[in-house]
Amino acid sequence: MAYHFQIIEDCLKCAFREQSLFCDLPREALIRLQQIKATSVYPKGALLCLEGQSPRGIFILCTGRAKLSTTSSEGKSMILRVAEPGEVLGLTAAVANSPYEATVETLEPSQANFIAQADFVRFLQEFPDVGLKVAKQLTHNCKCAYDEIRSLGLSNSVPEKLAKLILRWAEHPLELSSKKPNETALRVTLTQEEIAQFIGTSRETVSRVLTSFRRKGLIRVKGATWTITNRRALENLVTT
Amino acid sequence: MDDYQSSRAGKSGNHLTVTNGGDCRHSTSLSNGSIKQPMNSTTANAAAANELYEMLSPELRAKLASSEQRMIVPEGTPLIQQGVPPENLVIMHSGKVAVSLNCMSGSASLEYSEPGKVFGMRALVSGELPEINVTCLEPCSITTLPRTDFVALLESNPAIYFAVAKVLSTDLKIADRILRNNSRRFFCGSRSRPAKSN
Repeated sequence: MAYHFQIIEDCLKCAFREQSLFCDLPREALIRLQQIKATSVYPKGALLCLEGQSPRGIFILCTGRAKLSTTSSEGKSMILRVAEPGEVLGLTAAVANSPYEATVETLEPSQANFIAQADFVRFLQEFPDVGLKVAKQLTHNCKCAYDEIRSLGLSNSVPEKLAKLILRWAEHPLELSSKKPNETALRVTLTQEEIAQFIGTSRETVSRVLTSFRRKGLIRVKGATWTITNRRALENLVTT
Repeated sequence: MDDYQSSRAGKSGNHLTVTNGGDCRHSTSLSNGSIKQPMNSTTANAAAANELYEMLSPELRAKLASSEQRMIVPEGTPLIQQGVPPENLVIMHSGKVAVSLNCMSGSASLEYSEPGKVFGMRALVSGELPEINVTCLEPCSITTLPRTDFVALLESNPAIYFAVAKVLSTDLKIADRILRNNSRRFFCGSRSRPAKSN
């Protein structure tokens, strides 16, 4: 299977290193990271780790995106968030030596560097800078989780929740040369079922609300490319 | 804040204030209702059994021990308050707290009672204001560590960041549990009592 991205095997030569919260490390630490990591490429739908599984190690997501999902107290699957390139996955479990808190599944072909837990702990102890980066990543993850809680708790209707989600995705728009002014194109790789798990509703409701958005001219959907055609109207749906 | 939270928090408006360097050999009632505990060998060992100290060398623990204050605080005491910079790290030894986030439409919360949890670390290391409230649901035995002392130790011993990461990992787990356990309320708009900690 051909993947439409360049595999980055050498962390020292990674062009995206400085953009990552974790990977922007001193040269000595990067050399050690290079020695202890195993680079792998995963297809869409690959499970990197399972909720409740004993920690094997961490995954540094180099390319692609992955969804973090868990099971709610009612037994329903819910998506906690979508991880972006540069994020370290399985960090909580590896640091605390406790089971993985979420299931991580790739949403598109992805590259991830795996580091075994024992190697990662030694890496942390050997390089204080790594500990600092890990602390920053966890601080960031906590903030995201708190924002998620507040965001979900504040949204009352499904159209509002969906509008809020689309607007959040619009913070990372696709760069399309053919797009019209005032339009924002997004790449949405989540299925309607997954969107439902994200905002806590049923797939049928997501389908119905999306149809309503399309009919009202708020968005245009063509495959995985969604285009926001009336941002103001979407923003008006968000009351909180 | 939901009914459950407000009924709990409303019983006491106490704020945690700690004076450093006090003589801890005698129990002393503080004006806010906190009671200092003598630091005998048993309590000192108990204080060592927390998620922060278990990762530190005996030398570093000894350095922090001189700034510790162990006390029992009454029900309703806010240990960490959203938007208020914490003056101390708070190590919980016994008792039950509610960890909650204020929202415009109420409060999402979780009861937490695992001994050894350290609260206030995220705000301390990031310099950001706390985003959670931690309030005692019953009398709690705690140890406080002044922020300035811990930050000074952290700056001179960056290896401590591994221990910090462990504390932050638990913070993240708690946030995920709040999200998971309150999902019914979030998703259905129903009001519920704080969920029990896993």
